[in-house]
Amino acid sequence: MISEMLRFPFSMLDEDIEKLFYQDSFQSRGRYGRGNYPAINIGATDKSVKVYMFIPGIKTEDLDVVIEKNMLSVSGERVLPEADERKGATYRRERFSGPFKRTITLPDSVDADTAEAIYKNGVLHISIAKHVESEPRQIKISVQ
Amino acid sequence: MREEQNNPEAKASIKQTSSTTSVTQPLADIFETQEGATLYIDLPGVDKESLNIDVDKDVLSIKGKIALDIPDGLEATYMDIRSGRYERHFTLGEELDSHNIQADFKQGELKLFIPRSERHKPRKIEIKTG
Repeated sequence: MISEMLRFPFSMLDEDIEKLFYQDSFQSRGRYGRGNYPAINIGATDKSVKVYMFIPGIKTEDLDVVIEKNMLSVSGERVLPEADERKGATYRRERFSGPFKRTITLPDSVDADTAEAIYKNGVLHISIAKHVESEPRQIKISVQ
Repeated sequence: MREEQNNPEAKASIKQTSSTTSVTQPLADIFETQEGATLYIDLPGVDKESLNIDVDKDVLSIKGKIALDIPDGLEATYMDIRSGRYERHFTLGEELDSHNIQADFKQGELKLFIPRSERHKPRKIEIKTG
């Protein structure tokens, strides 16, 4: 019995209450399965499109970011440290591991040649400028 | 690691805990050996300054604010991550020594090691032969 007790020093803080409070995040947690990693946020300004990919703890050389036509794809493999099962035990394994690939469609208005990527705090920031001509233009109406 | 009291932002976030406003629960892996417990927690988008780890009695709390470089006038068109904060709590067993937690935070990946307190470490009893 002592060993059983030692095996469970961790427990969630009242899991049911957590579920109640964090219902949204629990639902979203289920969404990030294979094919849905990494999480991505996308936004646009008048001048550029910004893509934020949440890929914690990866080496940038293990990441492949490609723009082909108007498809932006990110792929790589996340290798997580393994527990030494002979010496201990695993209690939770929630984080994504393994190969991943995600592709998003960019608006036609972007200029892929301008794409820049920065990896910071585990987030890959990709910035792509919009074509100048895609800025709103006033069309003159001539009367005949 | 910072003390809760020194961080006004953390104080504000405590208030929000009791409401249902959006907090993302970060994903974690937990391993354990006879030496102690190791936690890995994914907190992408959090920088070291806005990460808060504290232990109150037996509850380990991890809170972080997502700080992205967002230009003025950015309009979101698609979002997997909708909340700006991560928060998660764990209850530590009494055999863990919460005064000696080691933390390492790199590129949004937090690693915590919590040693088992000395008196809870398994000891091998030597048998003397007479």
